[in-house]
Amino acid sequence: MSNMLEIENLSVGYARKGLALDNVSLSVAPGSIVALLGANGAGKTTLIRAVTGLLDLHNGYVASGRIGFDGTQIVNVAPHRLVRMGMGQVPEGRMVFKQLSVEDNLAVGAAILPRAAVRERMDAVYELFPRLLERRKQAAGWLSGGEQQMLALGRALVGGPRLLLVDELSLGLAPLIVQAIYKQLVIVGATLGTSMLIVEQNVRIALEFASSAYIIERGQITMSGTADEIRISPSMRDSYLGTVKSEETGEVIAP
Amino acid sequence: MNSQNTASPQFSSKWLWLILAAALACYLPFLLTDRSIFGVRLSNMQLLNLGLTQVNLMLIAMLGSLSLNYLTGNAGLISIGHAAFYAVGAMTGAVAGTQWGWPFPLVLVLAGIVGAIAGLIAGLPSLRVRGLYFVLSTFAMHYIVSFSFLEYQFKFFDVVGVPYEIAKLGSFEINTPMRWYFLLLPLVILVYLGLKNTMSTREGRVMMAMRDHELATTAVGADVRILRLKAFAFSSAIASVAGAIYAFYMSNVNAESFGIQFAIQFIAMIIIGGMGSLNGALVGAALWLLLPSIIAGFASQVTGSSGAIKFLLVDNRAQFVQVIFGSMVIVLLIFAPGGIVGIGAQIRNRLAAKRDQS
Repeated sequence: MSNMLEIENLSVGYARKGLALDNVSLSVAPGSIVALLGANGAGKTTLIRAVTGLLDLHNGYVASGRIGFDGTQIVNVAPHRLVRMGMGQVPEGRMVFKQLSVEDNLAVGAAILPRAAVRERMDAVYELFPRLLERRKQAAGWLSGGEQQMLALGRALVGGPRLLLVDELSLGLAPLIVQAIYKQLVIVGATLGTSMLIVEQNVRIALEFASSAYIIERGQITMSGTADEIRISPSMRDSYLGTVKSEETGEVIAP
Repeated sequence: MNSQNTASPQFSSKWLWLILAAALACYLPFLLTDRSIFGVRLSNMQLLNLGLTQVNLMLIAMLGSLSLNYLTGNAGLISIGHAAFYAVGAMTGAVAGTQWGWPFPLVLVLAGIVGAIAGLIAGLPSLRVRGLYFVLSTFAMHYIVSFSFLEYQFKFFDVVGVPYEIAKLGSFEINTPMRWYFLLLPLVILVYLGLKNTMSTREGRVMMAMRDHELATTAVGADVRILRLKAFAFSSAIASVAGAIYAFYMSNVNAESFGIQFAIQFIAMIIIGGMGSLNGALVGAALWLLLPSIIAGFASQVTGSSGAIKFLLVDNRAQFVQVIFGSMVIVLLIFAPGGIVGIGAQIRNRLAAKRDQS
């Protein structure tokens, strides 16, 4: 069985700016949750854009390499086609349709489904995020940040994607809410078998829920492995998770 | 069972209101023509200084504001080229009606088709450019059409303008304001219901999503380029039909009839009435076309008085009306972006949010 997402030796550039991704390889196995971690400007968003077909919109281009989605090559496939092929997207900054009601937001996400399947899929989303059911009739712009994030997830999930791409889910949200949302995502992965690629700055929380992770720095993958391997690697602890060293001995006394 | 008990009187009262409104709409032209109600004469002021001609022009404007609101309020595409589509319709009317002698209904159908094609062409820049640049491209289109109209007018007609024959349905001549009214009213209702229906379909909802956030609409699998072109073609087809009707109604139009202020009035209408709401488009068009006449009516009452009221209502009435509309647009944009019809919903949302906080 091929991987749900298979990126091979991908290099991506922007017009007049040189390469933003340099020979990146990454794979998401079916049913797994994979985290892509890195600081601002490391190339996380560029990678997401390359996968979702939005590079064109930002004057970017794939210089070399391949992107396979469930066995199909998808470099230069139009973004809306990818969604119809089963790639759910949760864009950075949530981007809910503020003037539409919660229900209409989900209905727009469900517009790619056959009509008969819509009700059932929407109910499944409401079951996953009961808050959305309570707010069904409210305009999405009036929801709290956490609720908007749930809605953005629900909108992507309602179409029944095989692969879900989540960009910066934790941005601007309280840790407790982020925890709760990630727990629901794990349930989705376990029950529906949805594969996920999670792009995060919040390394600690991503490693808690992902099965494996990639670290990206200045456009290159510098480390990859299972979440546990990455958590205990010394360089990771120093640069991302933060450690407290004893002032006298220099030994790590607290993570 | 509770819901059934409450539903049925609501249902019947809704129908009651509809029947009342229909009766009123049917009686209105007789009221305005006879200027009396069941034999009792009404003064000009009691009729708010309104005549049937103003009402007819309002109905024609409603076709334009409805179609622009569909484009701008629902699909999120701002166009200052709406007068150009009116002009396209008027030109089609001149070629097919005045020159070729086609029957009026066929002229309208052709105007719709030509308008849709013109809309498609005008929408093409939207595939590459966004926001202000796109607005400017509609502006450019306006001048291209204006220029074409002028050239056409001088090639086949003269400086007076393009004449139109009396509109006919079969052998029935539509030659009085009353007859026009009963042609225009069903047409406005038809367009209103048609647009309402279009917006409640799946695709209509996706279009509204596109207005809110284009990128996110792509991210849920919609091809926004096709949606934009569809919206443009549909909206301009309606505007073009309205333009042809306008030309036949006026019986003579020229290139200056469809100037840039003609386009801007539609934008003002939908801002005042309520962007994104079909009812708002109706309210906006009604205010825009009727208020000047109502104010003129008041002005005729104060001819004897002097001071500020005379200064505003009599000596500088045209400017005063402009100031009213101008300030209305500014005040509504700042305090009620949903326009007049959106004020209620705005208050409800505020209250709901407040309730949630406490």
